[in-house]
Amino acid sequence: MLRLIGNSLLRRRWQSAATVLGVALGAGLLLAVVLLYHGFDQGLERGRQRLGADLLVVPSHATVDPDNALFAGSPLNVYMDSKFVDEARKVPGVRRVEAQFFTQSLHLECCSVGVETRLIGIEGQVIGRLAGMSPEGRARLEKDEVIVGSELLGGIGKPGALIELLGEIFRLAFRLEATGTALDYSILMPMESARALAANSDALKPVWQDAGDPHRLVSALLIEVTDPGRIKEVGRALEDLGPLRVIRAADSFQRLKRLMDGFVFVLAAAGFLTALGGVAYLLGHFSSVAWDRKGEWALYRAIGATKARMVELVVGESTILALGGALLGLPLGYAVYRLAFARLASHNAFPFVAPSGVLVLTAAASALALYGLIGLLSAAGPALRVAQLEPALTMAQGDID
Amino acid sequence: MNPPSQILLEAQNVSRIYGSETILDNVSLQVRAGEVTTIVGPSGSGKTTLLALLALLLEPTSGRICVAGRDAAALSDRERSRLRNEFYGFIFQSAQLVGALSVLDNVLLPAFLAGKARESRTVARELLQRLGLGARADFLPHQLSLGQRRRVALARALLLRPAVILADEPTNDLDARRASQVADFLLELPSEGYALVLVTHDRQLAERAGNRWEIHEGKLTPPVGIPDSSEPDLQRILQNSQQ
Repeated sequence: MLRLIGNSLLRRRWQSAATVLGVALGAGLLLAVVLLYHGFDQGLERGRQRLGADLLVVPSHATVDPDNALFAGSPLNVYMDSKFVDEARKVPGVRRVEAQFFTQSLHLECCSVGVETRLIGIEGQVIGRLAGMSPEGRARLEKDEVIVGSELLGGIGKPGALIELLGEIFRLAFRLEATGTALDYSILMPMESARALAANSDALKPVWQDAGDPHRLVSALLIEVTDPGRIKEVGRALEDLGPLRVIRAADSFQRLKRLMDGFVFVLAAAGFLTALGGVAYLLGHFSSVAWDRKGEWALYRAIGATKARMVELVVGESTILALGGALLGLPLGYAVYRLAFARLASHNAFPFVAPSGVLVLTAAASALALYGLIGLLSAAGPALRVAQLEPALTMAQGDID
Repeated sequence: MNPPSQILLEAQNVSRIYGSETILDNVSLQVRAGEVTTIVGPSGSGKTTLLALLALLLEPTSGRICVAGRDAAALSDRERSRLRNEFYGFIFQSAQLVGALSVLDNVLLPAFLAGKARESRTVARELLQRLGLGARADFLPHQLSLGQRRRVALARALLLRPAVILADEPTNDLDARRASQVADFLLELPSEGYALVLVTHDRQLAERAGNRWEIHEGKLTPPVGIPDSSEPDLQRILQNSQQ
């Protein structure tokens, strides 16, 4: 019977090819949408986890979008006096204060890292949170150790590897998993090491002439409050300390989440509609096949096909077309996803976590199974109608084209 | 005198009514192995309907169709399908070839449906050879002439070596030479053990085939010398005489 189906499909090669192509586009689009949806969803979740603070304090003149700094890992090249660290710790309702120090881009300045790279000085629990983003992660960093983003160093990025940064030698502690954000292109090190490196850099000296001694500067404060109900009150108290801008993480997160939720919803809807479109397309196709080839089906019945065999023939054809189309479409969908991912990664515009190989394979297998099921279900109705055809019809009809 | 051969197919007082129109009226007929049964009648007389009933493609409104002694009404769809596949060979009015399949695959159609395509391939090629179509096995039906298509349909009907060949106007639309070739082939089949039921309005073909039943406005008249088996008593007598 498979041969009969195969012959029939091959002889109607243009019709079959058109159906396979239609399914391939649907299945490919579905896979791309599912992978992007998952990437954004995980990216948002990871952004939330990475934050680990209730408030972000930056100098009031900071022009960089703080949402991007919070969730996409993009550093702010702004500085404020480090005295605000101690003053912030004294504000009632503040449980913990951690400072971060960002330097200028190291583009063309670094001899061992060949792409635009950011240096970030970090301390305390931030290291612990970053440790959770790598299987080799650990909660402590020595002065000469660094953490690097997933897109840096390539194959040589193993723990213990030596890296030269602005003339100093560092050891790699661990490498972060991909986030799809600027963090993937960042190097993180202990605060004091970052400050020392910045201070000794000839290229950065003009910056410090304006901003002051980097050892007395910080870029941002991450603040955790004792009572989430008092966030507004604590925020106001922090703003009273000086020319500071306080960003509530919850507001910022919610704003970004709303934006991303909208985007993710569009993706999810696109995926759903794609699958639904696949059903409608195949249903239409096989309904028309059932009708157009009525004479052929009646002949099969007349010369001995049981009703069950008729159902097998129609459903078999549809399932082969659907699975064939899906098999062709999945690599296309993956290619589309990779293109989209490459563009997103180059802009660092959204938090995005690239799905693992296992997840990609699982999604592909699921899409394949889904399209197999769609093929089966969409042909079920027409197949049952075909099975009910009167075999005597064949006595009254002319030749079958 | 040779003993009468086995009854393969029997219509007993069969009627078929569409709405208020009686297409077949109390028809009785027996088809025996190795014999030709010719049914002659004008268009619209009920020939094709009778053939469809004998072939289990239609259900009678009343009466019985018996296949090898079994009442067809008691058969399941699977059993009827299997009989249509293996017991009958069909030659329809038009060749009824599937345009998307090659000549060889068209011949193999009954075998595909029976799951016997592999072992039937050689037989299919032999039949095509015998019918003068060996070189056209890979052609598509639209590349054949009308007569060639009719011969492909013949090969398809014979593929699984059925017991009964049902031929509906097999020489229709053929020129005299082609019609004669097809008729020659068909009329040799009973000598090979096939039962041939030949439905035609071609008087010449009917004369050659013999055992000619006349059908007119749904009523079937047996050949001269054969009593009307629609009479139950006569039928019983006939059956008894055959035993």
